[in-house]
Amino acid sequence: MSCEDGVREGEPPLAGCRVVECSRGVAAAYAGRLLAAMGATVVMLEPPAGSPLRTAPPLLGEPGESALFAYLAPGKRSVVCDPLCAEGQRVLARQLEVADILIDDTPLRERAARKLDQHEVGRRFPALVHVSVLPFGSSGPKADWDGEEVNLMHAGGEGFLLPNGLSHELFPDRPPLKVYGHFAEYQAGATAALAALCAWWALPQVGGQYVDVSVQDAVLSVGAFALQRLGDGSLEHRSTRRFRYGGVFEARGGFVELLTLEDRQWAALVELLERPSWALDESLRDPLERSRRGDEINHHIREWMSRHDVEAIVERAQRLGVPAAKYRTPAEVIHGEHERSRGLFAPLILATGERVEALTAPFQFRCSPLEPLREVPKLGEMMPEATS
Amino acid sequence: MSPPAAPLSGVRIADFTIHAAGPFGTQLLGQLGAECIKIESKTRLDAFRKPHAVYGRMSAATFDQVSVNKLSVRLNLKAPEAVALAKRLVSISDVAAESFRAGVMSRLGLGFEDLRAVKRDIILLSLSSCGQSGPDSSFAGYAPLFGAWGGLGWMTGYADGPPVEMRHVMDHSAGLHAAVATIAALHQRRRTGKAQHVDLAAREVASAMIGEALVQASAGITPVRTGNGDLVMAPHGVYPTREPDRWLTLAVRGDREWRALACELGGPQAASDPRFATADARRRHREALDATIAGWLSSCDAGATAERLQRAGVCAHVSWSMQDIAGDPHLRARGATVEVSAPGIPPRLAVGAPVRFSKGLGVGIRRLTPALGQDEDYVFGELLGLSSAQRADLQRREVIF
Repeated sequence: MSCEDGVREGEPPLAGCRVVECSRGVAAAYAGRLLAAMGATVVMLEPPAGSPLRTAPPLLGEPGESALFAYLAPGKRSVVCDPLCAEGQRVLARQLEVADILIDDTPLRERAARKLDQHEVGRRFPALVHVSVLPFGSSGPKADWDGEEVNLMHAGGEGFLLPNGLSHELFPDRPPLKVYGHFAEYQAGATAALAALCAWWALPQVGGQYVDVSVQDAVLSVGAFALQRLGDGSLEHRSTRRFRYGGVFEARGGFVELLTLEDRQWAALVELLERPSWALDESLRDPLERSRRGDEINHHIREWMSRHDVEAIVERAQRLGVPAAKYRTPAEVIHGEHERSRGLFAPLILATGERVEALTAPFQFRCSPLEPLREVPKLGEMMPEATS
Repeated sequence: MSPPAAPLSGVRIADFTIHAAGPFGTQLLGQLGAECIKIESKTRLDAFRKPHAVYGRMSAATFDQVSVNKLSVRLNLKAPEAVALAKRLVSISDVAAESFRAGVMSRLGLGFEDLRAVKRDIILLSLSSCGQSGPDSSFAGYAPLFGAWGGLGWMTGYADGPPVEMRHVMDHSAGLHAAVATIAALHQRRRTGKAQHVDLAAREVASAMIGEALVQASAGITPVRTGNGDLVMAPHGVYPTREPDRWLTLAVRGDREWRALACELGGPQAASDPRFATADARRRHREALDATIAGWLSSCDAGATAERLQRAGVCAHVSWSMQDIAGDPHLRARGATVEVSAPGIPPRLAVGAPVRFSKGLGVGIRRLTPALGQDEDYVFGELLGLSSAQRADLQRREVIF
């Protein structure tokens, strides 16, 4: 890396940025998490009993701390604040007076009583970027609808389209399947972080403003290709949304993902498969013909994969230029040589003192490497500063 | 203060990205107001400009979501003069974005140091499969591979089935995270006046999507694949209704919501079934619970039931196809879906900016997919000051090509 003339170390991208996070759900908390990872000071306002995320599954043991909270809260500060009482209002106002960004997922019907509605916040804090993150957004006919991850994954269109490929072939009659965990809410959190930073960017021109983010919109946004396909005249369905050939294959010792989009990758795949006679058929040089005969091709690849070791397949595939990867377990990811080399994970001390590791950030700034966030805050640890 | 404008108006991006992930990220920035100049070439057409047989698209796309708002210029980067022009374009841009394999930009003479030499405070976004460093940095990949490497594919699936391949949402999630980091780098530049190189590995975004499972793994716990289930909520999942392939999603967070759901679907007695009285009991009797709900829903219309349950305070939504999404007044009212059209492109729906700004006039889709090289008069003529004769000569020699 050569950034001699770059920014100084220890001066992260968002140094000086102050964020107040009022979160009950994953989306708003993930927005705060991304901003904290990039150096913003993120103050969580928690109810006296603590954020519901502190006890959200999965847990690290029974009983145990929340692995989800351990992922979402590192580096944040914690202030106890009940905005329904006068003292809570004082704490809230004090935090908002010095904040650049407020991220809030309080349901619409509860905002006015907490003085967190759009117009009240805008009037009292005109230089604040106020980001609302709700399941269906804060405007439109369904703004008061509620939803959890499973509802929102399907409200945004991607849920209906999963699983595709091998899973659907094996279990065609089962209901559609969501992506693991909080994928939809993470998209909304990243969208909220983007929106917050864009509105903050425009602050010198337009002052503070209100920003409305919806989890449903965010899922649709990353799933835009399916709407594009609809415009092209094709309604996608999980049974037909599959690669004509390639996909998930069971090998010895694990599963392989294989996808060849370019002619040269196909040629390399033929090499990987040791040039079997079926693959040398002249007509398969035509990509359209390959797509037409995808099932037949996959049948052959499956048979070959079942006889070979997963690690050997992916190693040789990448050497030959065939895009292929092993489906890795979380343990394989966290101990991965590549991830270790890139410093993707860092030690983390939980509120109980237990030590684990957590992903630092899904991006790097090569001229000013991010400092890992080392601690999960205890409830209300910032109170002495917040109330002094 | 000036009248409200799109928040990123005035930000210019020299966009070398191809395929889906990178272009999605710059498309977002474009919808938020940035001027995004796509640098492409006949010598290596981007995916949307040619058939994509493996996806079943047998011709070029007429409309391409990830190229909306983008200006298009041609530069054959195999020619040194084209590289020099690309650098001139970067020198008047705020951001350069690329999505080649690690090392390709440097080999072209467009690496971070090359760009910083022509623009001392450039923000370079490099989005790749595996990042700019590390033993796998030369690996090529697409969305399903990102999911496989990063662990998201393994964690997704039926408990008794194989892992599931991620599709474009994985590409686009990488592009979205790249957009976040890029704007953070712009803030850093505003504060320090310094350049930055943002390195985004799409497989690491896939890992970020299972961040909690990775914390578990670090503590020696093997995370479980939950499918449509939830570790706490019951009922929770995707249920069949009266119509074939018409599913209702439900998530019940507590006893009040359970009673409301049971009353709505099964009547007052149903709410007092002791097997389902507490969250613990519902989890213990999950199979009986799911069977009971499936029985209730077998005569229900999915859409009407979702509305009824929402009114009763229960999280419910139909599993929507894109046809449902296209017909949804809520998404239209929010501008999350917008109707677009252009000469040669009959009216159709596209996905608008996923954010509503109270002072965000100008946010959204301003123009559709550019023809190859459509904006060279403005970019090469006005911005770079090339004369018509110079441009004709460069075209003849396949530099602008």
